[in-house]
Amino acid sequence: MRRDDIPYSMPTTNRPRNAGSAISDDASRLDAVAKVTGQAIYSRDRYLPNSLFAGFIFCPYGKAKLESHASEAAKKIPGVVEVEISGREGQYHGHTVGHVLAESPEALRRGLAAVACKWVREPVRTKIRDGELAEPSPNAKTSDILAKADHVLEAEYETQVQTHCCLEPHGATIDHKGESATCYISTQGTFAATDGLSDAIGLPRSKYEVICEYIGGGFGSKLNGAGKEGVLAARLSAGHNRPVYLFRTREEDQTDTGNRPSGLARVKIGFTKDGTILGGLVQKFGGVGVGRGGGGMSFPSGRYNLGDIQSDHDDVRFNGGAPRPFRAPGHPQGAFCEELMLDEIATKAGVDPLALRLNLENSGARKEMLELGAEIVGWKNRAKTGSQAGVIRRGFGIGSAAWGSGQGRTDCEVVINRDGSIEARTGTQDIGTGQRTTMAIMTAEAIGVPLAFVGVRIGSSNLPVGPGSGGSVTTPSTAPVMAAAAARAREQLLTTIANLNSADASEFDVKGGEILRAGKPFMTWAQACAKIGGEQIVGRAKQGEGERGKGHSDGVQFVDLRVDTDTGVVYVDRVIAVQSCGRVICRKTAESQIIGGVIQGLSYALFENQVLDRNAGSMLNANMESYKILGPNDMPHIEPVLWTKGATGVRSLGEPPVVPTAGAVACAVFNAIGTPVRSIPLTPDKVLAALAGGGA
Amino acid sequence: MVSSNDPGWNNGKDAGKDGVSRRSFMVTLGASAAAASLSQAAQAALPKGQDAQPESDVRGPGETSLTLNVNGQSRTIKAEPATTLLDALRQKMGLTGPKEICDRGACGGCSVIINGNLVASCMMLAADAEGAAITTIEGLSKDGALDPVQESFIRHDALQCGYCTPGFVMAGRALLDKKPKPTLAEIKKALSGNICRCGTYTNVFNAILEASGQPPVMDSAPGA
Repeated sequence: MRRDDIPYSMPTTNRPRNAGSAISDDASRLDAVAKVTGQAIYSRDRYLPNSLFAGFIFCPYGKAKLESHASEAAKKIPGVVEVEISGREGQYHGHTVGHVLAESPEALRRGLAAVACKWVREPVRTKIRDGELAEPSPNAKTSDILAKADHVLEAEYETQVQTHCCLEPHGATIDHKGESATCYISTQGTFAATDGLSDAIGLPRSKYEVICEYIGGGFGSKLNGAGKEGVLAARLSAGHNRPVYLFRTREEDQTDTGNRPSGLARVKIGFTKDGTILGGLVQKFGGVGVGRGGGGMSFPSGRYNLGDIQSDHDDVRFNGGAPRPFRAPGHPQGAFCEELMLDEIATKAGVDPLALRLNLENSGARKEMLELGAEIVGWKNRAKTGSQAGVIRRGFGIGSAAWGSGQGRTDCEVVINRDGSIEARTGTQDIGTGQRTTMAIMTAEAIGVPLAFVGVRIGSSNLPVGPGSGGSVTTPSTAPVMAAAAARAREQLLTTIANLNSADASEFDVKGGEILRAGKPFMTWAQACAKIGGEQIVGRAKQGEGERGKGHSDGVQFVDLRVDTDTGVVYVDRVIAVQSCGRVICRKTAESQIIGGVIQGLSYALFENQVLDRNAGSMLNANMESYKILGPNDMPHIEPVLWTKGATGVRSLGEPPVVPTAGAVACAVFNAIGTPVRSIPLTPDKVLAALAGGGA
Repeated sequence: MVSSNDPGWNNGKDAGKDGVSRRSFMVTLGASAAAASLSQAAQAALPKGQDAQPESDVRGPGETSLTLNVNGQSRTIKAEPATTLLDALRQKMGLTGPKEICDRGACGGCSVIINGNLVASCMMLAADAEGAAITTIEGLSKDGALDPVQESFIRHDALQCGYCTPGFVMAGRALLDKKPKPTLAEIKKALSGNICRCGTYTNVFNAILEASGQPPVMDSAPGA
């Protein structure tokens, strides 16, 4: 097949359950050809002529003073343009204290090595438990509940630090041309990235453009404006009047660009003999490193009726990098604690965990999803927790999620040109969710033309303002507004045709790319567009217009796994992910979002862990070979099930599917081996310790 | 230039089945160590006869000319001896399809096909690739026609942000070249050097199954 002939409709048959669930079942991703041929240009691919290369000097320890450095010697290295030391101490591994600017990547490497910083280490704290943790302090009501309960579950649940590990590291190429500048930034917010650049770049906002056509992953870590990479690159580019290329190394990206913070939850929950939960104390700690906040855990989540819960939270600081938003901040860690706690209560009370959840669920939609998921996964095959004996034991687990739908500032334009081509425009970026595709589908549907007629432009701060990719708001923001803009453009075109025929616009319609009059073919799309006065028609709409998604996006997941009790290794076999997102625009990209959420959740549950050396405070696995991310060989069969019952409008989808997974895996491991492992990742050592009676 | 008595890239004949030669293996010691391995000093330090290099194979320390056969075209660039094949492709030749992600052979994002073998181009010196036939993602679609693996990736939406995609496509192509009808387990194993952070493996497996003329993995039927 020729690349220009790729049809927009490419049916697949392997997910029969989801057939017919979306506006477009068969549409392929609009930018897929660019991505599979290597033609998609990411910010990191912008090697500009005459460019300089910059890199940060950073502290390799958890806490250290910069005793000496050889920056003068480094400046003498051929090709080194500038060496600046701006800080004298590091508070965490990755803490930047200066930079080197050079003529080539090779000279930059030599320059950074020649700076030869000598650090004097100081004692460090590297985890929540190194801090002074407040004692649990139940109030009178909580004490009363716990005193009256038949049973009290006392447990401590722990979660690790997870790094975003975006495949495209954080960074920017800034091209300062004297009077104007072009800023290629790897960002989740094309417009947010314009903030804070004016001073650094020395130009008013009207004189520079931020471009982010493609972004190699963000997951929340690229929402911080231009970032310190963009700001430094802008300053250097302005100072030297040359393009500056500045991208983080993998070690820096793993230590200094945010993370999902660690968590510790101590619970004392009272319940009756039949499993009715009365309430109790949930005392939480968030491990925020040197950050000031951001350690919150969504626990209790509000999805289940847990009685009267006294919920206390403290952030605990230590010598680690600060958190940044990470795909559903606070939710996966909270869901892990809550779901495993529910299974522990169910087991103690002798109640089936599915029955317990159906009883406690606050949402009718999620109850129905639970029933569907249980049927697909074969919940009836689940053995009672602790009842298995063999070496290989099977386990089933459940998790859930709920997500509200917000909207960000969005202006959209739909242009119909005289030659018949259509362009949908807003400045937002595509983090991988398929923005171009969903916007084109909405435009094509609203106008009444085939998808192939529509082109999309995004990823530039010179386009109408679009939302940042945070809070799963991008598609819920752009889809309704783009449809409204398209409808306006269509109306203008039909009015033009009607006026030329001295008729009323209501007589005309567009279907399948043809103009109809009184329901009968009247003229082709091309003929109609040729009548456009001036060069083009522009339909515009803004936030608040179009059909907004109402209610929550809900999800439940079922995990079916095996545990090898000789080795402690957990093998996940299947994950069934039932997920709603309102009206589904593009089936394939929606399924991909769900599958991706599950995979990140599995990776979080089983493997990922930022390990800080307890003496030096250095991250021991600041790379991708020992910071283990789930790979192809670890993959279970994953079924994304699109739940469209009662769908109104377009709702959020990016974050919710990552929420339930770790909890469901933990419940399934408990079901298999009979002892809860209360700490993720669920590595073999912890599973073996639990089997040996060591508890969590 | 690769000499005829070089134990590594001897026209591909003596290269290991994973395409790693002794000299390219040196890259695992780090770019600077590998550079040293090519410097006169390091050569002099080797016991005589162990790796006798003709004088003409000594490069550097500055930039020297280097001719690479990429996507059927012979191109000469100037590069330092320590330049990896990945840096040569991306920075010297403008072929930015191969991505630098982990920079140490752990993620597969920089994968290219060399003499029929899948190679992490960040783990190989550009100098060691002289004389070999290098195919990057840019060279996979010929005369505007997509490779069946690329077409199948599009059909199955086997990509999200797309940053790992060139590596996965190359890994899929290299697998099918060696094994036209792999099982699902074989596909997983063949791709296990690649990492996708968005989480797209399911669709990648289906894309490669279908590109090899086999049905994708079915989800449970409705009402099951």
